[in-house]
Amino acid sequence: MARLGGHHHHGGRERYHVGLTVPTTTHAQRRRSSELRLVVLAAIITGAGYTLAALGKNSAMPPRILPFLGVVLLLLVSAHIAIRWFARGADSTLLPVAALLNGLGYVMIARLSERLAGLQTTWTFIGIGVFIGVLVVVERINDLSRFKWTFFFTGAGLLLLPMVPGLGFSSGGARIWVNIGPINFQPGEFAKLALALFFAAYLAERGSLISNSTRRLGPFTVPETRDLLPLLAAWAFSVLVMVGQRDLGSSLLFFTLFVVLVWVATERTSYLVIGFGMFAVACVAAYHAFDHVQTRVAIWLDPWSRYSGKGYQVAQSMFALGSGGTAGTGLGLGDPTRIPEAKNDFIFAAIGEELGLFGATAVLIAFVLMIGAGLRTALRTQRPFEKLLATGLTTILGVQAFIIIGGVIRVVPLTGITLPFVSYGGSSLVANYALLALLIRISDTSARRLGEVPDQPTLSERWTARRVARAEKKAAV
Amino acid sequence: MNQRIRRLALALIGLFAILFVQLNVIQVGRKTSLDDDQRNTRQSVRDFNEPRGDIVTADGVVVAFSERRDDDSGHPWQRVYPEGELFADVTGYFTFAYGATQVERVANDVLAGRTAQQQIQGIASLFDGADTTGSVELTLDSRIQEAARSALGDREGSVVVVDVQTGAVKAMWSSPSYDPNYVATHDDRAAGDVLEFLNDVPGNPLLANAYQERYMPGSTFKVITTAAALDAGVITLATTFAEESEFVPPQTDDPIQNYNQKTCGGDLTEVFRRSCNTPFARVALLLGPERMVEATRRFGIGEKMPFDLPRPAASKFGDVDYFEQNLPLLAIGGFGQGNTQMVPLHMALIAASVANKGAMMKPYVIDATFDHDGRLMNRTSPSVWKQTMTPATADIMSGLMQEVVRSGTASCCLKLASGVEAAAKTGTAQLNGPGEPERSHAWIIGFAPASAPRYAFAVMLKGTTAEISAGTGGTLAGPVAKKVLDVALTR
Repeated sequence: MARLGGHHHHGGRERYHVGLTVPTTTHAQRRRSSELRLVVLAAIITGAGYTLAALGKNSAMPPRILPFLGVVLLLLVSAHIAIRWFARGADSTLLPVAALLNGLGYVMIARLSERLAGLQTTWTFIGIGVFIGVLVVVERINDLSRFKWTFFFTGAGLLLLPMVPGLGFSSGGARIWVNIGPINFQPGEFAKLALALFFAAYLAERGSLISNSTRRLGPFTVPETRDLLPLLAAWAFSVLVMVGQRDLGSSLLFFTLFVVLVWVATERTSYLVIGFGMFAVACVAAYHAFDHVQTRVAIWLDPWSRYSGKGYQVAQSMFALGSGGTAGTGLGLGDPTRIPEAKNDFIFAAIGEELGLFGATAVLIAFVLMIGAGLRTALRTQRPFEKLLATGLTTILGVQAFIIIGGVIRVVPLTGITLPFVSYGGSSLVANYALLALLIRISDTSARRLGEVPDQPTLSERWTARRVARAEKKAAV
Repeated sequence: MNQRIRRLALALIGLFAILFVQLNVIQVGRKTSLDDDQRNTRQSVRDFNEPRGDIVTADGVVVAFSERRDDDSGHPWQRVYPEGELFADVTGYFTFAYGATQVERVANDVLAGRTAQQQIQGIASLFDGADTTGSVELTLDSRIQEAARSALGDREGSVVVVDVQTGAVKAMWSSPSYDPNYVATHDDRAAGDVLEFLNDVPGNPLLANAYQERYMPGSTFKVITTAAALDAGVITLATTFAEESEFVPPQTDDPIQNYNQKTCGGDLTEVFRRSCNTPFARVALLLGPERMVEATRRFGIGEKMPFDLPRPAASKFGDVDYFEQNLPLLAIGGFGQGNTQMVPLHMALIAASVANKGAMMKPYVIDATFDHDGRLMNRTSPSVWKQTMTPATADIMSGLMQEVVRSGTASCCLKLASGVEAAAKTGTAQLNGPGEPERSHAWIIGFAPASAPRYAFAVMLKGTTAEISAGTGGTLAGPVAKKVLDVALTR
């Protein structure tokens, strides 16, 4: 902020006053042009996939392929231009990788159901809109830390909303849906963003206090009882979600997010141990208390003996992956409609069937790239809030992808949760684009702070400066 | 914090590495076992929703094809078997819920267009929309097949006609049969009901009795005993057998009798022509368990026939140890009684080997496969399964079998149209024990024309009715063989 007011603006082109190191813009240019190339590549891959799927399925070129490609390009290039205007220093891989996953997911959804493809198009429009909106509105990421309690109550409220009688309803065993008027949505998808913001802000403030405990238990430094309270609260919260909504996936994701952030903030391994110990206890208790948890575990261990019952889905997922083999059946040439919920939780199995080990591995690599970009962002920034927020958002992406892919391929018990950017669903897509915008905003902020990009005043800062200048002028007169 | 964030990065990458390993385990390591899992209907369902090539007989009659049908079953293609039950044992059926059988099963890749060759051509067709399905041409001739059905009528039994030089099956009919159209219906429940019903029908229509079932062969087995003894040199054409009505083998007091307790004897031609029992019991004992069992192995008895249809049965005689302990059973085995069990197709092949200088060909029903444009993909090349006997012995056997038709047990009934001479051996396999009501299978095996053999045959009428049980191989099976051969040889 030191350079605020040091710049004059003439039609968008900057000139720099003497006395300041003149920041080079080559970083930004290089990042943006490589982002544009990658985004166009993602659009081309999506268009090619869409064409191949139609050829494979109907032996005919898809109708309106050029308008389709046009719309994909329009969406992605708009997002790219938004970054150019509002976050020009940001990491160049986040948007293209998300676009690729979104495009691949769209191709699969379109191949499974034309009706859902239409809806997913709408969600993608809204998602990109929200992405641009977040970039425009959140100009200084640190401003968000001031609203931490707002985020806390919003997040908690959203998370508990499906349990409100009359509003919430169950689908597929989990009570995670809310119905308001004509709109159904999963508030949990937004709640995790709000809670990540809260945790990051809270721990950025209190992290050092919590870590300065002197109580010891064996090899571990144990936190003061008072500082344990938030941890206990988070634990209680996740248990509540697990019991009240039968949503194991979100519960696990939410708790992992919190434990990881406490661990990173305090640098105390004891939190990690205590946190996961507590979660293990909750899991064992839940296993004994709830039939559906036992069923999930039993299916995970052996779906085959429950083939005609609840193991059918996982067994079909195995058959799909097997029939895909190394190179896949080819887009449109497999039979992924046989997997229940292929468009949603099991979309990874559908990708594994038609694109094979190669395609499925590409999806894994895409997520690893996003994790890499997200955590690199966390490493580059100096401010604890930004560090923790970037870490938290990346953890949400990575762990959520792991939980659902792992469930589909039997690494962990299956818990219904969406695959970020890939699965069908408006709430998930919109929330993940908002998450992406926040990561990009943090990345841009640190680029500015590192002097890679000139730190221009934001729109609201310019307004304030103008108002102040006018007031001064008036006062002078 | 940075150190923790780096560790977190490592941990997350580690988690994704686990996912990658598991993906490899499933998609590469366990691919085969997943694909072969019988609950995995992906492949059959995929085939089911796609067009499928024709199955055609050697004389160009389409016996299975797929028809576009837009009913509400969700499956656009209906498999149709225009000849109904006539080729059911060969084509089998192709169903959604119950899999596929016979040629529909073994030639599935060709019919569905999934052989490597078709797939390569299919890459081009992806753009012009043509299908890649292939067709299968059978060795069977619809006219001979139809003759077999009408000659057998509603009596239970099997008729097999093979080409003596190639082993190509020209007709293979078993009664009772079933109409595969009722099983191939898109109404899974109805198909299930039909299958369940057919399973309980006596005579097992779902089984291709001609090659999947074995029956006591009676005197037709004397072809094997005689050829074995001639090859071993224990008898010659000049050997004479005493006139006797019964013979008591070692290890028992129970005498072996000739058919209808007649007195029977003379030289080899005579006893073969009249089908005496006691001479062949003596010959079997003369050879002894070891040589006799070894000879049956040369005929392929005791092993599954190398057929191109699924689950062929194996004919059965017995093993050396068993006969060492049980010489009377060896003796009656010598004329096809006791525990001897032969598959009708196998008997036709044995007759064919006599006509083919002792070379028994591998039987087959798929003559050739063609791609969608009618280009030949593969043609079955005939190959020898067994050398059953020396060419010299085969010559002698041919003479003996011609005498059966000329003046022996088949003289009544195997006079072919236009004076073509046939060679044959009859059999009446007695199934009932002493004092039980008469029950017997009627057999005839042979080949024609005798001078320049083209077709070998086996006809077997199951002893399920009093009428059949009262007759003999010559009087019952002979006329069936004649009708079938007359049609086959006018071709």
